[in-house]
Amino acid sequence: MTQTLRQHAEQQFAEELEALQKADTRERPENWAMSPWAVANYLLGCKLDNGFEISPKYIGSRRIIETAVATLATDRALLLFGVPGTAKSWVSEHLAAAISGDSTMLIQGTAGTSEEQLRYGWNYAQLLSKGPSRDALVPSPLMRAMELGKTARVEELTRIPADVQDTLITILSEKSLPVPELGIEAQAVRGFNVIATANNRDKGINELSSALKRRFNTVILPVPANEAEEVAIVTKRVGELGRALQLPGEPPALAEVRRVVQIFRELRNGQTEDGKTRLKSPSSTLSTAEAISVLNSGMAMAGHFGDGVLRASDVAASLVGAIIKDPVQDAVVWREYQETVMKERSDWKDLYRACRDQE
Amino acid sequence: MADTPFHLFGIRHHGPGCARSLLRALETLQPDCILVEGPPDGEAALPLLTAPGMTPPVALLIYNPENAGEAVFYPFATFSPEWNALQYGLAQAIPTRFMDLPITHQFALRQMDQEAVPETEPPVHTAADAEGTEGQTYSDPLDWLGRAAGYEDGESWWNHMVEERGDSLELFAAIREAMSSVRQEAPPRRLNAAEARREDLREAHMRRCMRQAQKEGFSRIAVICGAWHISALAELPTAKADNDLLKGLPKTRVEATWVPWSYRNLSYASGYGAGVRAPGWYEHLWQSADGSRGIQWLARAAALFREEGLDCSSAHIIEASRLADTLAALHERPQAGLEELFEALRSVVCMGEDTPLRLIEQRLIVGERLGSTPENAPAVPLARDLAAQQKSLRLKPEALRKTLDLDLRQANDLARSHLLHRLVLLDIDWGRLSRTGRSTKGSFHEIWELQWEPELALKVIEASRWGNSVAEAATALTVDKARNAQALAVLSELVDKVLLADLSAAMAAVTQALDSMAAVISDVSQILAAIPALAKVARYGNVRQTDTALVEHLLQTLVPRAAIGLPGACSALDDDAAGQMRDTITAAHQALRLLQADGIVDIWHAALTQLAQSPQCHSLLGGLASRLLFDAQHAALDETALRMSLALSTGNDPAPAAAWLEGFLNKSGMVLLHDNQLWSLVDDWLSSLSAEHFDHELPLLRRAFSAFTPPERRQLGERAQSPATPARAATGSDWDARRATLPVPLLHQLLGIPT
Repeated sequence: MTQTLRQHAEQQFAEELEALQKADTRERPENWAMSPWAVANYLLGCKLDNGFEISPKYIGSRRIIETAVATLATDRALLLFGVPGTAKSWVSEHLAAAISGDSTMLIQGTAGTSEEQLRYGWNYAQLLSKGPSRDALVPSPLMRAMELGKTARVEELTRIPADVQDTLITILSEKSLPVPELGIEAQAVRGFNVIATANNRDKGINELSSALKRRFNTVILPVPANEAEEVAIVTKRVGELGRALQLPGEPPALAEVRRVVQIFRELRNGQTEDGKTRLKSPSSTLSTAEAISVLNSGMAMAGHFGDGVLRASDVAASLVGAIIKDPVQDAVVWREYQETVMKERSDWKDLYRACRDQE
Repeated sequence: MADTPFHLFGIRHHGPGCARSLLRALETLQPDCILVEGPPDGEAALPLLTAPGMTPPVALLIYNPENAGEAVFYPFATFSPEWNALQYGLAQAIPTRFMDLPITHQFALRQMDQEAVPETEPPVHTAADAEGTEGQTYSDPLDWLGRAAGYEDGESWWNHMVEERGDSLELFAAIREAMSSVRQEAPPRRLNAAEARREDLREAHMRRCMRQAQKEGFSRIAVICGAWHISALAELPTAKADNDLLKGLPKTRVEATWVPWSYRNLSYASGYGAGVRAPGWYEHLWQSADGSRGIQWLARAAALFREEGLDCSSAHIIEASRLADTLAALHERPQAGLEELFEALRSVVCMGEDTPLRLIEQRLIVGERLGSTPENAPAVPLARDLAAQQKSLRLKPEALRKTLDLDLRQANDLARSHLLHRLVLLDIDWGRLSRTGRSTKGSFHEIWELQWEPELALKVIEASRWGNSVAEAATALTVDKARNAQALAVLSELVDKVLLADLSAAMAAVTQALDSMAAVISDVSQILAAIPALAKVARYGNVRQTDTALVEHLLQTLVPRAAIGLPGACSALDDDAAGQMRDTITAAHQALRLLQADGIVDIWHAALTQLAQSPQCHSLLGGLASRLLFDAQHAALDETALRMSLALSTGNDPAPAAAWLEGFLNKSGMVLLHDNQLWSLVDDWLSSLSAEHFDHELPLLRRAFSAFTPPERRQLGERAQSPATPARAATGSDWDARRATLPVPLLHQLLGIPT
């Protein structure tokens, strides 16, 4: 086990990437590590002809991934849209890892992201001693990706202030980045592309200008379509994270995963899975990612303070934290859910009691 | 196949790729006879195909002129292989025939089946009965093949393999092989005995037609049929077996005609069994040049987006087209198909959202094309029935809007009203009832706005799947609506409409649905809301000479249900809910008062009494109930006064008391003006309020009194100015006349009046 807390996708799945590249005989766009077909299979999982198993990275609709890969193959920029926790960054990281073998050309978008972070900055010591020169220039990840013909990633695009966002327009349409101070320009090498992610909950913060929008193909990542899909996602991720983070507990039993997923789905959809009872929805997003983290912390609890087996009481503590974001309204919603839904289910007695004990 | 004169072409109904390949094949083959899977009964109508004014989509309609409910539509679009084969045959002037089992037998067989197994449901008329059942058995094997090839369903597989590819003459051999193996390997289809027999008969008849053509000496016979039947026609068994099977089939009289059809009716969504998902796309495939197919389609989409006010520039289309091509490559297809183009539009133009796509989906994929038939073609039975009625009732369809005043006491006007109401039920909005004129002129007048629009012709066709005469179609549609209704109010309105349209046949079904829904519904206000419409029907039914016994019976069961639940439904309400409930109760009460049916009214009054006495019930409604009982002279003055004093007693909270008063006054103060006892009760209560309470109640009271008419308010004010007068008059008899006369002489003296 390495000392790294979390490995990059291309490190963690190096074996799979290598196997796919070997088996891949189809046409590759220039500077791509593998063909679009292989990229889609890397994300969705498959079994190669030589029996090697590629694990699925994204569980969900095939057409979403295919559209995303096809977009990148036409050297159009890709914008992944979705509510928080729908695996946008996850998909973007794996796409970059599969296409360029490098998912580290990353710009994290925040309200404080400046133009220098998108284009280039200066090493001031060099600048003062040698004057403006190529050596004094500090290229941004985006600029490096252009020069190397790799995939750059921009996280949380809509959090970047609108005037800074517009820097991307030239890069995306002209595929070049002028450096007027030196009288040169960085021209993108084939294979360069941008994957941006944005949260469509806070569209209002810095909505993309239509000029910028037009330069992206948009793919919306939906919340899992059905319970089975969501259970599969959560089980898989919890298992992987437990391994990566060296959590002491046993991987959780499927029953416990299913219960957490069901609670999340029911509260999110505002009705029980059998469609018989209407429920209030809390203000929290209740994304799949949160379900994963609830189970993870439950496992940690079980491992450090319990007997290593994930039980209702271990889950209950983090459930409350995930669901109640607004102490007044959400508490009512959660309480109502316990009393009207959980209490009625005979095999949920332990969880109900554990949740009541929390208060 | 060199030794046989038969050349079999297995096609898919409405497949443009099939049609294109078929035309090529026919040109190569130069057949001297063409047999098409279709009803031989319709052969008489074939010459009309080339008549001017015939534009697809059209449908060949075969129906039983005696029982118009029996009808079958065979739709054809410009890209249907059958349509092209027929056109080819007629253009080349070679014998072109239909070879399916004649509809005349099929109708008769179905009648026999229905008699053998008496059905409880009334016959439901579907647009494509014959085609429909075939469509199901036919699409299943495609699904198997499609899934085996890794497609979502049979249609996308077929689209890709057959419809969207270039012409290829080996196509038909391949289809034949695929379908034969599917037919051998497939598990037996779940058909009942009658359906299985019908399939056998149809194939036997097709074989007989083929033998007949052979016997007549044709040497190159093109046989065009659904791909499913190919293997049954490939080998001709002895003629005897088929002849035995077909011997002595019953017959019914049928007639054939052409009707205009629309792409919407051709799509799956319309319930047409052999329908296709995307007629608009198929038409595009049929018309567009091979190479630029995708771009043309995207350009059409762009135009539609712009019409809807969405941004869609040429740059968008360029990018969408690139993405679609890449997707097609990823899917290993030579050209972008519908799926890829749609995906590209979603991603590039719509920002990943589905919503904008839905705006244009209907027009782009299904298409809005409406066919037309030559003027000398006979019309749909429903249209014919409508035209006949329009003639006999002297109601001419006109494009200009005009107003029609119907006096329902006259037979002709009544019949007109029935017709218009039936058309409204059928969603053929020729006439609109304007309600304003109605209330002022009493219950025997109806004022209609009439305007005939060309689209109504299509609505008539659409409605014709419900039945072939106006009355029959309206009945079938109403029965269907009643079965699927979710709310009681919808049903009660339906009852009203059914009576207005004089559809006694539908009445039983609607009332039954209403009755059974009322039995399970727990919301009393819904039941109450249903009562006014029903009561109106029961009250005014006589004017329209309709039988209202059913409705009266229904009221007999509905009112007790409402009455039982009423006190429960009126407790624990907040002010808004109570306000709504007041309107509902008032409306129901008024309706029941009009009805004057003793049994019902007694139960209702008992419920109101309970309401008036129940302490849990919202005081607004308690007051209302007391007032309604008082007005109905069901509660005596003393009793009412007692209730008022109870409600307005000082011990009570002022807010409920004010609400009670508001309910009791029920938007009219006359009761206070004319009754001293009640007046003084209210007066006493008002005077007993503390200053603080008075300030608090004033807005409530003001609201209660503001609904009164100005003269009422003036009178109330005048009366309040001289509060003592009424009291003195009321207590006058108690005076001691002897003592009262004692001061009179002194008064005389003081005033200086001589005695």
